[in-house]
Amino acid sequence: MLKRLLSRNETYLIVIILIYSIIVGIKNPAFLSYENFFDMLRASSGKLLLALGVLIVLISGGIDVSFTAIAIFGGYASTKLMLLTKIDNLAFAFIISASIGIILGSINALIIHYFRLPTLIATLGTSSVFFGLMTILVGTKSINAGQMPSSITNFSGARLFERIAPSGNTYGLSAFIIPVILAIFITWFILYRTMLGRGIFAMGNSEESAKRSGFNLFLIRFFIYTYVGILAGIMGVVYVAEVRWVNPISLVGSELSIIAAVVIGGAKLTGGEGTILGAVLGIIIIQLLNSTLVFLGLSSSWNDFFVGLILLISVSITSYQYRLKSRRNLTFSD
Amino acid sequence: MHEILNAINLYKSYGGVHALKDFNFSVNESEIHCLVGENGSGKSTFVKIVVGAISPDEGEIILNNHKYTSLTPIQAIHEGIQVIYQDLSLFAHLSVAENIAINSLIAKGKNLINKHEINQIAEAQLKRIGISLDLSMPLEELSTANRQLVAICRALSLDAKILFMDEPTTALTKVEVDRLLSIILELKQRGLSIVFISHKLNEVFEVADRITILRDGKKVGDYKPYELDYKKLTYYMTGREVEYPRYKHETSNNKPLLEIKSLTKKGNYENISLKLYPGDILGIIGLLGSGRTELALSLFGLNPPDKGEIIIDGKPVNISSPLDARKVGIGLLPEDRQTKGLFPKKSILENITVSVLNRISSNFGVVNRNLQIELCNDAIKSMHIVAPNFDTPIQSLSGGNQQKSLVARWAITSPKIFILDSPTVGVDVGSKAEIYDIIQNFASKNVGIILITDELPELLANCNKVFVMHNGQIVAELSEDDLKEENISIKIQDLMSANEKSLHQNTKD
Repeated sequence: MLKRLLSRNETYLIVIILIYSIIVGIKNPAFLSYENFFDMLRASSGKLLLALGVLIVLISGGIDVSFTAIAIFGGYASTKLMLLTKIDNLAFAFIISASIGIILGSINALIIHYFRLPTLIATLGTSSVFFGLMTILVGTKSINAGQMPSSITNFSGARLFERIAPSGNTYGLSAFIIPVILAIFITWFILYRTMLGRGIFAMGNSEESAKRSGFNLFLIRFFIYTYVGILAGIMGVVYVAEVRWVNPISLVGSELSIIAAVVIGGAKLTGGEGTILGAVLGIIIIQLLNSTLVFLGLSSSWNDFFVGLILLISVSITSYQYRLKSRRNLTFSD
Repeated sequence: MHEILNAINLYKSYGGVHALKDFNFSVNESEIHCLVGENGSGKSTFVKIVVGAISPDEGEIILNNHKYTSLTPIQAIHEGIQVIYQDLSLFAHLSVAENIAINSLIAKGKNLINKHEINQIAEAQLKRIGISLDLSMPLEELSTANRQLVAICRALSLDAKILFMDEPTTALTKVEVDRLLSIILELKQRGLSIVFISHKLNEVFEVADRITILRDGKKVGDYKPYELDYKKLTYYMTGREVEYPRYKHETSNNKPLLEIKSLTKKGNYENISLKLYPGDILGIIGLLGSGRTELALSLFGLNPPDKGEIIIDGKPVNISSPLDARKVGIGLLPEDRQTKGLFPKKSILENITVSVLNRISSNFGVVNRNLQIELCNDAIKSMHIVAPNFDTPIQSLSGGNQQKSLVARWAITSPKIFILDSPTVGVDVGSKAEIYDIIQNFASKNVGIILITDELPELLANCNKVFVMHNGQIVAELSEDDLKEENISIKIQDLMSANEKSLHQNTKD
C-alpha cells in the first residue's frame, strides 16, 4: 500500500504543497487563514476549468494551445452581447460563451482529423485565427467594472456562505466553485465510467491499436476538442466575473502555464497518462506560488522562475524513474 | 470436417507486382494450419485481406458459408476472425482487465463501463487458457510472454472462431514458447482454429495439422507435417537447397585478442572469465535473462561492469561508452535491429556508411560522396544485399537484407572483435545461411567473433567454442571437440534450462 502510494506522483505533490504551506505559514501566519484560503480558491477556479480540458487533451496524446483564445473570445463576446441585447442574465452568458466554445472547439477537431495535422501546429494556428476573428468581429475595447452587466457583478460577489473575519471583513466560499465542482465530476465520469473515456486513454496509448480495437477515432477527437471548447467558454465567463473587467488582449499567452501545471500533475506529453487529482494539485502549486511569494517577501518576478523550476524538477524525476526502469529492461537510450 | 474459411483464387498486386497470385487457403474447425514462407512471400498480404484491411483484386472468401468478394473489418470480426499482431496492439497504461475486455465492450456497443463486468470478462477468458494474472496491474508491468497471453484472451473474448497468430514466439524464452504452444493445442482441442504464421520451423512441426507454403505470392502446396522434414520445408520455402556452412577454425594464434577476467555486474552476471583468440567464433548461449545480452552490452560500453578486467591485445582497457569500444576495435550488432540498429527512414547508403563518416570526410567535415557510394556499393555486392539501389530507405528491405546492411556497417570499420547478438532473429532461412557465411568469412580473416544466440543449430553451425550461460553465470565451457559429440544438442539444452522449470513456477504467481 505504502509502496503504491510512494510510486504515485500525487503523493509527492501533496507533500510539497503541505511543506511549502507550513513554511509560508511560519513566515507569515496570515497565510494560514480561512480568508486567504477562500481567496485562493476563488482565484484558481478559472485555471482549474482550463486544466481539466488540457488534461483530457494530453491523455489523448494531443496538445491544445488555443483554449485561452477560445475562453477570452467566449467571455468577451458574451459580455458584449449582454450589453447589446440588454439581456442581463448569467445563464445567457454561460450558454453563449459555451456555444462559442463548442463551435471553435469543433473547428479544431475537424482540422486535426481531416488534415491529420499535429495537434500543436493545428491549435497554434487556430489560436491566432480565433483571436483575430474576435478582434475583427467583436472589437478590442475593454469593458470596465462600471459597464459590467449586473448579473456578472452579482456572480462575482456571490458566496455560498459567509463569515466575518476578526478584522471586520466579510469573506466566504465563492460561487465560482460550483462550475468547477460540476466540471470535475463530469470529467471524472467521462474518463473513468464511459467507453468514451477509455477510448481517450486508448488513443493516447496507441492510435493504431485503438483503431484496430474498433474505436471511432473521429468521434473521440471531436468530443475531446469540443469539450475543451465548452470548458474554455465557461471559464471565459468565470474569468470576466473574477476580474470584473474585460480586456480582450488578456488571458491569451497564459496557456503554457496551465499546460505546465497539468504536466507537473503527472500527465505525459506522450499521452495515455494523467489524473484529475494530479491536474488539480498542479494548479494548486501554481496558484500557491502566484499568491504566496508576497507573503515570503519576494517580488512577483520570482513567480515564473519557481513555476519553471518545479516543472523541470517534476519532469526530471519522472524521466529519471523511467530511465531506471528501462535499464532494468536493458534499454540504454542515453 | 467442417470448413470455416475458404479463400479461393485470391489475387492482389501492388503497382504491377503480384503480392498474391491465385492463392487458395482453407481452414477447418479445430485445426492448426501453419502458413510459412520467407519475408515478402505474401503471408501478411493474405492476413490483411482476411481481416478486411485491404481488398483482393480477384477471388472470393467464404466464411461460415457466407460468400465475400471483399471484407470490412467489422464483417471479419463478426465472422469470428481475430488476429494477434506481432506488436500485440495492446494499451500499455490500461490495466490487464481493461486490455482483455475493451474490444468486446466496443463490439457490444457499450457506452458506460462497469468495473465488475470488465473483471468478469477478463477472468472468464484467463480461466479459459488456464492462467492467472493480476487484473488491476497496468499492462506495461507485464513480461512480453504475459502480454501475449493478454492479447490471446482479448481475441477469445470476441468469440473468435479462427485465431491468426503472426510470429507469436519471436520475443519469448524457450519455456514461454512451450507454454504458449501448449495453450494453442489446448484451444484447438476446444474447437478453435488457429492459423499459425512462423519462421521457426521446429515450432511449426510441433503444432501443425497442415502446413501451407508460400513463395513469391504463390502457393507451393498444402502438406501434412509427416510429408515434410526440415530440409524439404526449407527447400520449398526458398526454392533452393539451403545448407548451413559449417565453420572450421583454421588459424592458430596463441595470443588472445580479448581477455575478460572475473567480470561482474550485480544482478546481471557474475564472475565471467573468457579468452577470445583471432579467428574464434565464440558462442554464448543462454535463455533470455541469462545475462548474455547484458554481458555483450558491457563489452560495448553500455552497461558498465562493477568489477573485473577487460584486456585487449594484452592491455587492460576501460570501456565506458560505445565510443571507447569502437576505439579499441569492438563492434556490436544489437539484438533488436529495429530500435537499436537501423535508421529506418534513411537510405541504405546512409545506414551503411554512418560508421565511417569521419574517415571519408575532409578536414572540414564534408563527406566525400563518391567515396561513400563506392564503399556502399562494394558492401552491397560483397554481402549480397538485394535492393533496388543504394538510395532505397532501409525500412523497405526484408529483415535479412536489413541485417546484412547492419553487418556491412560494421564490416567497413574493420573491427578486431565483432559481437553479434541474435543476428538472425526475424531473418528468413535463405538469408540466414548468407549471414552465417559472412560471419565465418570474417573469422577466417582473424577477426574475433562473439556470437550470442538462443538457437542451437545456429550455434553448432558457426562456433568453435561455446559458453553456456544460466542465471548470470557461465555453467559450461565447451571446446571444439565437445561440440562434435553426438548428443551435444540435448546436453546444451539441459545446461541452458537447468532449474528453469522451478524458477518459472515461482514467477508465475
